[in-house]
Amino acid sequence: MVGGGDVDSAQARPAARTDICLLLERVAKQDRAAFGLLYHTAGPKLMGVLLRILGTKAEAEDALQEVFTRVWLRAGRYDAARGVGMAWLVALTRNHAIDRLRARRPEQSEDGEAESIPDHAPRAETRLIAMGEARRVAECFDTLEPAKAQAVRGAYLDGLSYDALALRHAVPLNTMRTWLRRSLLKLKECLDQ
Amino acid sequence: MTDTSLPPEDDDDALAGEYVLGVLDLADRLAAEARIKADPVFAARVTDWETRLSPLNDGYDPVPLPDLLPQIEARLFPHPAHARQSWRLWLAGATAAAALAVGVLVLVPPAPQAPLLATLGSANAPQAYEARHDGSRLSVRQIAGLPAPAGQSYELWIIAPDAAPVSLGLLGAATLQVSTPRPPAGWVLAVSVEPAGGSPTGAPTGPVILTAEIGA
Repeated sequence: MVGGGDVDSAQARPAARTDICLLLERVAKQDRAAFGLLYHTAGPKLMGVLLRILGTKAEAEDALQEVFTRVWLRAGRYDAARGVGMAWLVALTRNHAIDRLRARRPEQSEDGEAESIPDHAPRAETRLIAMGEARRVAECFDTLEPAKAQAVRGAYLDGLSYDALALRHAVPLNTMRTWLRRSLLKLKECLDQ
Repeated sequence: MTDTSLPPEDDDDALAGEYVLGVLDLADRLAAEARIKADPVFAARVTDWETRLSPLNDGYDPVPLPDLLPQIEARLFPHPAHARQSWRLWLAGATAAAALAVGVLVLVPPAPQAPLLATLGSANAPQAYEARHDGSRLSVRQIAGLPAPAGQSYELWIIAPDAAPVSLGLLGAATLQVSTPRPPAGWVLAVSVEPAGGSPTGAPTGPVILTAEIGA
């Protein structure tokens, strides 16, 4: 299967996250008490994801209810063997937030988006240096030109579209697309070593 | 979106990465989501990217959590009377009345197989399905009618009270198996007609041909 080796190399997670994994396994067995615990344990982080991507508290709260509904319904698909509980939850949450963002009417997402979103990249970078695996990602980002690394991070953390990224970095859309696609493949090569 | 200077495999991998980053516009994102459902190799590329980029999640700050657990639990574990009303409201709003056929619900399970959860069937539709649940897995099997015509797919949805329908997958010749808790009484299973590969929007787009409410 394509990418089998990639999964192995990207798999090890910090031990502190196993709490979430155990809760998810219990939720998959329809344990409602575990579901409540998971809400309080993982909720602050997931709310942070939603608030950052969606921008308003009202929409983030609406999305949080939808996210936890999906967590209950899909916990059976969580692969305990991979042991990436929090990453699984954040992926589900980001997907839902970005689906909402892209489904907004164009006039809502175009006007001033690039200006209104604060740039968190330096802070994220400082944090990434804290842990082993995160350091590795930071090192791989360092192999990219700074503007490109910042574009990839901005896309991931803020849910920026190609349009918004091109505006923020003042480059044509197609240039941005080429930057990101090449940067992604370069990152993959570095991370999967 | 293709980059002619990349080999096809890298092109796919870059697309999976773009999807995970979230940069695609609505049309490209929906196309990628349809491909995740239909193409396991592509779906694995997406999962690999989610894992690869997950250390960036440290950039998200936890924030104070509003206590929405009561609302979420009310949605997931409803009182049946309340639930019945809300799914009818959804169906009234979201589907063409002419295409709507309310399903027959069979409650008492026969022994050897997993217990029967609901039968989706109607005098107005040639198709019928039975849904069983073994305690951890829902399986839905066609028991009458033909497969979807070329260019179309039948998609199975589950609807919790006050919630948007959530896709459980496409109904083909093989039994659809989904790891999911037993849906509580008052939830609804529905089958809609969608373009091949499933709904392009994540919500039912075609006529709903069958529904069944889950009993206690």
